[in-house]
Amino acid sequence: MKTDAQIFSVNPGQHAVWVERITFTYHGADRPALRAVSFAQNAGELIGVMGASGAGKSTLAKCLNRIVPEFEDGDFHGAIRIAGEPLEHLRVCDVAPKVGMVFQDFESQLFSTNVAHEVAFAMEQVGMERAEMDRRIMPALEAVGLRGFEHRDPMSLSGGEKQRLAIASVLALRPSVIVLDEPTTDLDPEGRAEVFELIKKLRAQGLSLIVIEHESEELRAADRIMVLREGEIAADGAPAEVFARTELLTACGVRPPGLGHAFELLGIDAQPKSVDQAYEAIVRAYPGVAATPYDSIARSRVSEDPKAAGNAIIDPAFIGIENLSFSYPGGPRVLDSIELKVEAGEFLAIVGQNGSGKTTLAKHIVGLLQPATGRVTIDGKDRAQMRPAETAREVAYVFQNPDHQIFAATVEDEVAFGPRNFGLPADEIRRRCDEALEAVGLQNERQSDPFLLSKGERQRLAVASVLVLRPRMLILDEPTTGLDHREQLRMMALVRDLNRSGIAIVIITHTPWLVAEYARRVVLMRKGAKIFDGSVREFFMQDELLRSSSFRAPEITELSRRFGKLALTTDEFVALVKGRA
Amino acid sequence: MPIYLYIDRGTFVHRLHPTVKVFSLFVMFWSVYWVDNPVALLPIGLVMLWIAQLTDSWPNFYRLRWLFAILVFTTTIAWMVFYRRGAVLVNIPVFHVSRLSLVFGLGRGIKLAELLAASVLFLSTTKIEEFTYGLQRMRVPYRVSFAISLSFRLVPLFIDSAVTIVDAQRLRGYDFNQGGPLERVRRYVPVVIPVFMGALRKANNMAMALEARGFGFSHEPTTFIEYPVTPADIMAFAFLIALGALYFMLYWTGLGGIGPVK
Repeated sequence: MKTDAQIFSVNPGQHAVWVERITFTYHGADRPALRAVSFAQNAGELIGVMGASGAGKSTLAKCLNRIVPEFEDGDFHGAIRIAGEPLEHLRVCDVAPKVGMVFQDFESQLFSTNVAHEVAFAMEQVGMERAEMDRRIMPALEAVGLRGFEHRDPMSLSGGEKQRLAIASVLALRPSVIVLDEPTTDLDPEGRAEVFELIKKLRAQGLSLIVIEHESEELRAADRIMVLREGEIAADGAPAEVFARTELLTACGVRPPGLGHAFELLGIDAQPKSVDQAYEAIVRAYPGVAATPYDSIARSRVSEDPKAAGNAIIDPAFIGIENLSFSYPGGPRVLDSIELKVEAGEFLAIVGQNGSGKTTLAKHIVGLLQPATGRVTIDGKDRAQMRPAETAREVAYVFQNPDHQIFAATVEDEVAFGPRNFGLPADEIRRRCDEALEAVGLQNERQSDPFLLSKGERQRLAVASVLVLRPRMLILDEPTTGLDHREQLRMMALVRDLNRSGIAIVIITHTPWLVAEYARRVVLMRKGAKIFDGSVREFFMQDELLRSSSFRAPEITELSRRFGKLALTTDEFVALVKGRA
Repeated sequence: MPIYLYIDRGTFVHRLHPTVKVFSLFVMFWSVYWVDNPVALLPIGLVMLWIAQLTDSWPNFYRLRWLFAILVFTTTIAWMVFYRRGAVLVNIPVFHVSRLSLVFGLGRGIKLAELLAASVLFLSTTKIEEFTYGLQRMRVPYRVSFAISLSFRLVPLFIDSAVTIVDAQRLRGYDFNQGGPLERVRRYVPVVIPVFMGALRKANNMAMALEARGFGFSHEPTTFIEYPVTPADIMAFAFLIALGALYFMLYWTGLGGIGPVK
């Protein structure tokens, strides 16, 4: 880590961002969110900021445009300069023309009913003349690839487009620095790719960028990676240097890039920047492994345990969906002739772009929607004859946002809500609550206020509150969105344990490594139709299908295919290389 | 299904100056306020139907059809309990069914439905930016006018989130339809709390995003969209003045009332 003397060896005026020993403690908090953080960013540099939830990433971002301490109440010390100009005594709105900020929640940062006007919004606020606004709007839209969208309603755009529009609206003010706080967390793979492509482009144009992100692969092209831990900078350096410290990254709640971790396990002293580089380095280090081209395995197919892959369905299946079609009133078809069977004890991942019908399909299974044509059966019974409450005892649904159900004053009351609705006796409710809280690891939080738990804990509480009904199947809609790597692993370990105890799992997700490491069967949806249903290995062999669905295989899987095999995890890949070598 | 009421069409009503649109909402409310008689409420109702046809706003009226029906029906029934004037036509316990109570109840029901219809027409044809601009031109401070218009945009988002929360609680075996009217209201606590918490979080995120986009930099922000005043605006303005005056005259002359009370 650099010392203050090294950081500030040049004049602060030469830097895009100059941060000197900032410390901030939120009002009422017992420890600082940031402790004596110092760094300097050169003009045109892209800095990736990583760390676990609560490490101080967002607080740092908010300091750069004065949201901290102007908007968020607390105790602030230290100094910040943007392009040499000190920020102290400025209001948040005064900093807007200097530092552009893009937030994770794209719905909350769009205020207009027209794309062009959205871009103009910030310019109107600073009192810019109309002619100047006119001159700036088209270049800003051009820069983010939204030219031709000027008259569209922002609410009609996809998630990726909305986030690009938010970037265009800050670009129009021509700030010298843009800070993006987890800009792709709520986006599907296509949206993520769009935003990161744009970030690369902006960087090439010389903008200074600070990007907060959980996925290390996405930040490999950054100039620097800064890792925060408990409000302090734990690592700051070139990506190759920081990503090589896998132990430190793991301790900081950051997922090390799969390729780098594989290299460490293989004893190769390098930090690959791409799958191509990784392939060449492994061939050099393990000359014996460069063999079968991928095409040959794609043709020969990998043999699978049909039960594990979900291909051998016993009739009647636990969930049976026959010829299911559905449209919302006055809208196009959201589901089109879906046929699907899910067996008890399965682990199925449903993937597909936003709007492909994944959640609508799940809502039909639990009875929140009724099919226009076709039918859904649960354990042989027609679901249309069951009330949602009855279905809840067979199939439970965990919503993407845990805050959509939490309302009770204590964790225990929240979990007990379901069984109380079913009129279960008090001792049975207590027994079930104990069991559910134990399963999700919240047994010591019984009397805690649910609203004070972390996002990961609230997500696990949401699982406990449906698990308590002892369903035979659990549907989880994006269970890891917004969680840091440590919380993601904990959540998925819980889901895997539940599956091992016999509960069928259906996860709706956009995260490739999660599908590769946990699911056994994949259903790919596109425009309301099921276009793939098979084992995870088969799925990751379908090059064309993956490409056309904007779903990328994990890098380690891509790399393994170069060697004529298909590894789903880093350990599997390392075993493959070592075994063959 | 779209969650906002605005319907993007190029009709002359859509193209009217924002100040005229805000003024028209005021005149509609004003006109409806002065009269009680269903017959007197008919002309303005017809004007609204004509505008709905012109602006292609029927989908919004269809979406809210039950709300309109409930407003007219429950108000008419309620006033037959509380408005105890005129000779009783039919003897029903608790109710006072007379010509006067029927006319008064129906008038109140139509009044509420017309107030709702005026709002629906306004929101079907007015963008949030026009609303803000219109209010500003009527001397409402920018921060206040922006907050008012933004709140209209937020309501559908909160409704959308409430629907999801209702679904989530139903899937935990919760029955919203148990018990009497008071109990049913009480049973919405598991929905109200998450909606409220979500609203607070959203409001906080929005406030941060607004300030980060320069909101508050200038007391008088410039406007990107220009709204020239056209002959259609002047004609619409004159029509609205005449409409407002007509309804005030109906009130002044007593023609808008429900007749002598005996």
